[in-house]
Amino acid sequence: MPKPKILIVDDDPDLRRALRLRLRANNYDTVHAQDGYTAVAVAQKEHPDLIVLDLGLPAGDGFVVLDRLQNIDTLAGIPVVVLTARDPQNNEERALKGGAAAFFQKPVDNAELLDVIRASLTDSRVPGMRPS
Amino acid sequence: MSDQATRVLLIEDNPGDADLVRLRLVESKSLVEVTCVDRLADGIASLGLNPPSVVLLDLNLPDSHGAETFRTVMAHSPDVPVVILSGQDDEGLALKAVHQGVQDYLIKGDITSKQLERAMRYAVERQALLRSLEITRKQQLEFKNQFLSHVSHELRTPLTCIHQYVTILLDGLAGSMAPEQNDHLKTVLKSVNQLHAMIRDLLEATRAESGKIRVEPRCISIGELIQQAATMMRPIAGERQVGIEIGLDNRIPLIHADPDRILEVLINLTDNAIKFTSPEGSVMIKACMIEADEDAVYVSVTDTGRGISPDAKALIFERLYQDPELIDNNRTGLGLGLYICRELVKLHGGKIWVASEPGQGSTFTFTLPLYSLAKLLAPVIVHEGRIREHIVLVKVELVPLSKTLHSNWREVWQQAIETLRHCVYLDKDLVLPPMGGSAAAQTFFVVASTDLEHSGIMMARIRGQLERNEELKTSAKLVISAVPVDLAPQPADASLDKQVQTVANQITEMIMASVAPESASPGNGHASSNSIRKAQSIQKESSKCPNRKS
Repeated sequence: MPKPKILIVDDDPDLRRALRLRLRANNYDTVHAQDGYTAVAVAQKEHPDLIVLDLGLPAGDGFVVLDRLQNIDTLAGIPVVVLTARDPQNNEERALKGGAAAFFQKPVDNAELLDVIRASLTDSRVPGMRPS
Repeated sequence: MSDQATRVLLIEDNPGDADLVRLRLVESKSLVEVTCVDRLADGIASLGLNPPSVVLLDLNLPDSHGAETFRTVMAHSPDVPVVILSGQDDEGLALKAVHQGVQDYLIKGDITSKQLERAMRYAVERQALLRSLEITRKQQLEFKNQFLSHVSHELRTPLTCIHQYVTILLDGLAGSMAPEQNDHLKTVLKSVNQLHAMIRDLLEATRAESGKIRVEPRCISIGELIQQAATMMRPIAGERQVGIEIGLDNRIPLIHADPDRILEVLINLTDNAIKFTSPEGSVMIKACMIEADEDAVYVSVTDTGRGISPDAKALIFERLYQDPELIDNNRTGLGLGLYICRELVKLHGGKIWVASEPGQGSTFTFTLPLYSLAKLLAPVIVHEGRIREHIVLVKVELVPLSKTLHSNWREVWQQAIETLRHCVYLDKDLVLPPMGGSAAAQTFFVVASTDLEHSGIMMARIRGQLERNEELKTSAKLVISAVPVDLAPQPADASLDKQVQTVANQITEMIMASVAPESASPGNGHASSNSIRKAQSIQKESSKCPNRKS
């Protein structure tokens, strides 16, 4: 089975690099985008298995990206894990309603993030066969 | 206001007095328009229709008396200045009125037209000043909150970066390190975690101050929460060789509180207690009932530390208070923990205090309201002084189809309970507060004042509404059932309260019987990931080896 491919969307290049290191060390392939517009373009080209998405982004913030993804049939099923510095109280509900699978506030516990990534991937890889 | 008429609303039931006031107003030669009404209700109506510049108010009216009169007026129109014109020279009442925001208190018989005119003019000016001060205060508070929220967001971004690279190094993802380097990095991580905790506290305190903390009370067991808090804090206590003991009075009924928030309070208090206790000491977390207060449970955290001086006791719950003796040798945070605890307890309708003798340790105690089904039930099952004829207990079960995403599931069932609340009649049906954990299947109960046949209509409505929620439909199985409550005739001499209590007991038994399998396994997933995360980060702050392999 090929390594699952994760799209990392964050405007901070240092953080992108850190996440890439962390995810590759855990046996994932990664692709990257630094703004909202590029995120959707890369998603269309690369068809990642999962997207780690920042909310505060130039050229279309995370909510815009979520919305675009939901409206493109081939991308709508990709699980999105939101990872943002923004306050959950004002953003978590909105992100989950907008289609995100999970919400994390930065700084995130790596183990927790990896757990949720793993769970989201198993959940979406076998459509219609969700464990109960 | 010199060239514009002062619009006066005179609320006075005595025609003679009303004429006298009118006369005084005319004599003053200033431009006034007077509207006179003789009942408070008419006055309120007029206030709504055409807000005056000032209200001249008699206190004893056909439909209202004394302090109640000005309170009603001010509650209705807080921005309109009120001047009381009273028949009685009651200094006590006058002071009380002024303290509560009345602009002036004049004695009807004594006033000259000049005095009245002046009193009105100053009242209008003072009220305008107060109003602008209040607006400025609110703006400043809002600005401060926005500023803090912005700052804490901006601080998180570089902090995240530091955190990521430190953990990359510690986890060996960038090659191996000498033990000494490893040690130094652990110190960096510990400080990063402290900084993170401070940012979080700052935001939480800001929210508490501006009333933006949401509390979602449920029907929960305080014992389970205490167990959970103790389990989370034992590793930290262990490192300092401090023991954690639990004392639970097992007769404690369920409480009505938000489990996440109460866990936060327990963790804060326990963390503090551990900090102030020397090795070989212990921390005791207790919950009990006391005879003098049957409506609350008393929860306390006791340490064997060095105690708190009487001076410090008065300040300890205030924002930014820090123990002066501790600051030099230990970084403890911003001094917001106890302030946040106090605000959270207050939001639950409880109170918190500390008892301490220097050298003898301290006990922090807070109260929480008991969950009383009878109290919640009374308004819906009592009609015209009697218990309703038919009552049905509707059970709505949501069984998640996938147990993967915890945060999402919580969201789903919270939406469901919102929907449920929209499906019932508020005056005769009651959606009971959710019980127990949020991790697995959720069961909601609705007490409906109807017979079994009609409850079918309600069940269809509930199903229809819940199934319109796409997310719910795809993530959970929905099972709805109804059982009538058997309303056996009660003794004729039983008081209404007692009858309600009997019904409440019956319903409790029915609920217990129907959820029995779950209730046998307590403790699972009371708290959401947020407070668990908080506890974990506290653990990491004080942990000597915070390295978690991923």
